[in-house]
Amino acid sequence: MNRADQHTQQQISDLVEACAGYWELRGIARESSTEMQLELEQHLQQAVSDGKSLEAVLGPNPAAFAEAWAREMHPRFWRGGARVLHGLVYALSVVSTTALISQVLAHSPSFTFTIFAAYLLTGSGLLALLLQLGGFLSPRISTRQGREALMLAGVVLAVLVLRLAGMKVNWSMALLSWSWPMTILLLALAALLFSLDFWRTSNGGHTTSARRVPTLRYVTIFIASVAVFDVMMFVASVAVFDFCRLALRLV
Amino acid sequence: MDTRSTQLLKGTLDMCLLATIAQRPCYGYEMVQKLAQQGLDLVSEGSIYPLLSRLQHHGYIEGYLVSSRDGPKRKYYRLLPEGAKQLEQWQIEWEAFAQAVEQILKGERSDEQSRPAHTATDLRSR
Repeated sequence: MNRADQHTQQQISDLVEACAGYWELRGIARESSTEMQLELEQHLQQAVSDGKSLEAVLGPNPAAFAEAWAREMHPRFWRGGARVLHGLVYALSVVSTTALISQVLAHSPSFTFTIFAAYLLTGSGLLALLLQLGGFLSPRISTRQGREALMLAGVVLAVLVLRLAGMKVNWSMALLSWSWPMTILLLALAALLFSLDFWRTSNGGHTTSARRVPTLRYVTIFIASVAVFDVMMFVASVAVFDFCRLALRLV
Repeated sequence: MDTRSTQLLKGTLDMCLLATIAQRPCYGYEMVQKLAQQGLDLVSEGSIYPLLSRLQHHGYIEGYLVSSRDGPKRKYYRLLPEGAKQLEQWQIEWEAFAQAVEQILKGERSDEQSRPAHTATDLRSR
């Protein structure tokens, strides 16, 4: 038996990580996904030790393998819906908390949702999706940082191309405007959907271990990620937005 | 393994896995090794996992984690009573199917043997 060299070891880790990302996208419960990763990693390690290739285990298309397994892990009615719910919870939480903060801090009776905020939300969602799916490029781009850098370069290039093509957008254009009772309603809806998503993550799928997702950890991570996004929105709308406008003027 | 064998195995892999687990509880890689020992080489070994999940969903098998001294826990699968019943049913179906195919194949061979010599001559003369 051969021990996997460092490069193969890295490939195994990347492929398992890519599959895990894909399963997360498909809404597989975390506990189930952890077990699947464990099984896959052990199988790949043992196969490599026995002199087999990674392709002998995953076939020519690792994404198809991940999809085939994901398909068998879901009740049919739920396929694809889990990720939509997860994304909706994030989007609603970010929008409602941003509105609440700006209404409380600025004492303004209404909050305006601009095209810039919509662009930032949609762009971040798309990037998160692409980053997870991009994991299947791992044999070619071996690290996650490499994939993130490539994705960022792609975004910058796309923005430059659009700008050079003469595309102009009025970023501060108002899409929606609402008063604080609507903000409270959105917050309540976000909390309700979050509870539903948490219940699904805790109970979905069949796992062999009796461990449940630690509630406090799950809630803390969620709140922290929403807070980070809120700060990002604020910084982006104040600093980066102005910086870009200045830079574009100079160009 | 040639394409025909691959196709045949694809249609019977769930049954083979259930039969393997019925012998004694085992983990994924062990199942692949057992199948290979019997001459059934999988094109992609990972294809057993979606099937194991399906068998688990149907309540034919169950997975359980076993602690290991050398490394992390390993997931084993064991047969459930419902799975034993299903395996029995599949075995009956398979035997009937295999018997039918065998009869057809043998029938074709006996036809060839009993075919008169002049038929071959006629075909060649066309």
